[in-house]
Amino acid sequence: MKPSLLAKKIGFYAMIIIVWQGLDSADIWPDNIFPSPVDVVEDLAYGVADASLFYGIGTSILRLIIGLTIAIAGGLVLGIFMARVETVNQTIGSLVLGLQSIPSIAWVPLAILWFGLTDTGIIFVVVIGAIFAVTINTYTGVKNINPSYIEAARNMGAKEGQLITSILIPAAFPFIISGFKQGWAFAWRGVIGAELLFSFLGLGFLLNVGRQLNDVSQVIAIMLVIMGIGILVDGVVFKKIEDKVMTRWGLR
Amino acid sequence: MGKLESRNIEKYFIHDGKPLKTLDGIDLNVEDGEFVCIVGPSGCGKTTFLRIAAGLEKPDEGQILLDNQPLNNTGPDRIMVFQEGALFPWLNVQDNVEYGLKIAGIPKEKRNQISHRYLDMMQLTQFATSYTYQLSTGMKQRVAIARALVMEPDVLLMDEPFAALDAQTRDLLLVEMQLIWQKTKKTIIFVTHNVAEAVMLGTRVLVFTHRPGRIKKEFKIDYKRPRISEDENLLPYQQKILAELRPEVKK
Ligand SMILES: Nc1ncnc2c1ncn2[C@@H]1O[C@H](COP(=O)(O)OP(=O)(O)OP(=O)(O)O)[C@@H](O)[C@H]1O
Ligand SMILES: [Mg+2]
Repeated sequence: MKPSLLAKKIGFYAMIIIVWQGLDSADIWPDNIFPSPVDVVEDLAYGVADASLFYGIGTSILRLIIGLTIAIAGGLVLGIFMARVETVNQTIGSLVLGLQSIPSIAWVPLAILWFGLTDTGIIFVVVIGAIFAVTINTYTGVKNINPSYIEAARNMGAKEGQLITSILIPAAFPFIISGFKQGWAFAWRGVIGAELLFSFLGLGFLLNVGRQLNDVSQVIAIMLVIMGIGILVDGVVFKKIEDKVMTRWGLR
Repeated sequence: MGKLESRNIEKYFIHDGKPLKTLDGIDLNVEDGEFVCIVGPSGCGKTTFLRIAAGLEKPDEGQILLDNQPLNNTGPDRIMVFQEGALFPWLNVQDNVEYGLKIAGIPKEKRNQISHRYLDMMQLTQFATSYTYQLSTGMKQRVAIARALVMEPDVLLMDEPFAALDAQTRDLLLVEMQLIWQKTKKTIIFVTHNVAEAVMLGTRVLVFTHRPGRIKKEFKIDYKRPRISEDENLLPYQQKILAELRPEVKK
């Protein structure tokens, strides 16, 4: 990041904190409704000190990783099948589009009925929330592959299986990576949402605890953590991969 | 009986809802080790013919025989060099060149050995680890040629591989191509717009008619090799071929 850009960002967030502190000092709302930045930081410090925060983050992220991995694997397979076999596209494809429109939170009641208040239930919600975004993007990516790549590969002797790993996936990768990115965003929302409703460990659970204790600063602290992780994954992990892919694939 | 035989190939494409005849009975017998060049006006079906010979397109009539076996699929026995290169942008130059070898399960060391030979021949060694977006059009075309040559196919199908090259590189490769051919005795079908190129390379030059493409005339070029572009003795061949080609281009 350029120094000037960094300075701009620091300045912006510093201003938010100053305004926030100012609003708090003006005593418009009582402190148990509108905490000061200091309260929130204190709350974070508690969470760090007794490690409950790390435990919450770890639990949520573990569920995210497991769920997202399953969603990516399943979405890749489904998307490639849809792109390569027209019957699959006409049948399963239309179902995928329909399922995609259901918010992942709406799967929670079903997940609880099927799996009870378990990790499996939460991971189910994550998978179902992310898999269709990966599927649809993979499908689009494979459909958009320059046909010469496939012809050249087949001409050089690639069989269908080799074609998938050596051509279809890499050639569609610019699309697939946006599928991962969307999938990750849905998965992260899914984890937090499911944890809220399951109230079974993780950051979502800590949010719920904060509400039950009427502890607004804890609620805000956890929200900041959720946002921070989101920014980190989007801005660091995915940005790096996307930049590399865009350059390598000659898309910029 | 020949290495690659084209029997009465006809091909139609649908244009504005109507079938449009693109190839009109291509009868061709390419002997083992022949270097056949095809020239013809743009849109006369040269690429289509090569694609059919490669098994990438189905003819509507007729068939292609390789060693007397009718073919209907593509495969590494007939490697095509695409007009637009079709390099894989996610692989670097060396991995592009080694692609077919890897698919065939050839071990890494062997692959490297083979690819280095051809990268060197195409003067690409320095760019082995570059990606396609870092290459000029001519360099890409050379990678595409190297990628085809490493496969050591029985038949090479080349679709205007030198069209994007600068004059110096082209002259170099025109000689190199003849040496490769003499050394390996490959059977080559080579499509080009450039009559001088065809005369330098070909044992035989076929002139296609304006669409629908037919073989209008063929010329045997019996002349010593390697032929160089400055050789004035090649001019009469060029003139005879141009005399046949010109009216087709004007149509
Ligand atoms: N997939 C296709 N669908 C419809 N028409 C096609 C298709 N491929 C080729 N054609 C048509 O067939 C004709 C021959 O095309 P082809 O690419 O074989 O020509 P060409 O001789 O290689 O031309 P050039 O020298 O410009 O490369 C053209 O009129 C083209 O429009
Ligand atoms: Mg062509």
